[in-house]
Amino acid sequence: MDSRGPDFSLCKGENYMKLSTKCRYGLRALVDLAVFSDRGHVALHEIAQRQEISLKYLEQDFSVLRRAGIVKSVKGAQGGYLLTKSPSEIRLSEIVSVLEGDLLLIEIDDPEQTDIRLFLTQNVWTRLNQNVSKSLHSICLSDLVDDYKMQQSGEGMYYI
Amino acid sequence: MRISTRGSYALEAVMAIALHPDEQTINIREISERTQISDNYLEQIFSLLRKNKVISSSRGAYGGYQLARPAGQIMVGDVLRATEKSISPVMCVEENSACGKSAGCVTKTAWKKLYGAISDTVDAISIADLVRDFNQKTTRESIDYSI
Repeated sequence: MDSRGPDFSLCKGENYMKLSTKCRYGLRALVDLAVFSDRGHVALHEIAQRQEISLKYLEQDFSVLRRAGIVKSVKGAQGGYLLTKSPSEIRLSEIVSVLEGDLLLIEIDDPEQTDIRLFLTQNVWTRLNQNVSKSLHSICLSDLVDDYKMQQSGEGMYYI
Repeated sequence: MRISTRGSYALEAVMAIALHPDEQTINIREISERTQISDNYLEQIFSLLRKNKVISSSRGAYGGYQLARPAGQIMVGDVLRATEKSISPVMCVEENSACGKSAGCVTKTAWKKLYGAISDTVDAISIADLVRDFNQKTTRESIDYSI
């Protein structure tokens, strides 16, 4: 029987399908870094200020991004961060899989398969996971930078 | 970013109901046997599916569950929306509770595209499609087996 057991009340519970704050903030910070690092490295506190994200939060995000080789740090009193590659070479699939841990909408690892579960895995869940990956793979960090620059040249207040 | 167990089990349970022969309701014990999901869990899922008019129930000695409308009119997305709080990866692309910066937000464009990929996928597959493919697969396998 159901090994995971009832884990919810009658109302709809947690927002499981949401991306983590870590991932949303991380992407905003990377677009900021890509926009402002054309003249050298950028200090995290500047990104924190512009994006209104706490510095502590960014420090955690950037240590993960650095270990994954997406950003590199420049040490020293005037230190900061740089992207390791051109924004056109960094796809959202890479960023999201680093910050979220993976790109899966559903984990496929249940060894106790019923015929229906096996069928849905092959015909729905695998397709859904693939389409999520494809969609994120089709967007480069540079696409978001271009959007930002285009908006900057227009009118009004714009945000990353 | 995960579909909950509740969401995936809901689709399994709806499939069990849809695969049941026409004009008959199926009771919770039969669904539990077919899906290996506990009665208790199924009842909680069914209260959400009933409320969202994906399935309906009848009482009495021959009572049980059936689809609330033809299988061709129930999309995988309907089942997931009934059981997940929301199927969007960020708040601002589905609801109007944007963060106040959303008018010129460039990451929102990316998340919107991701949400589009998710909702397009689940809204393109109906329960009737799944039943047809399931039955074809089962028939194919039984032929292969007999040869």
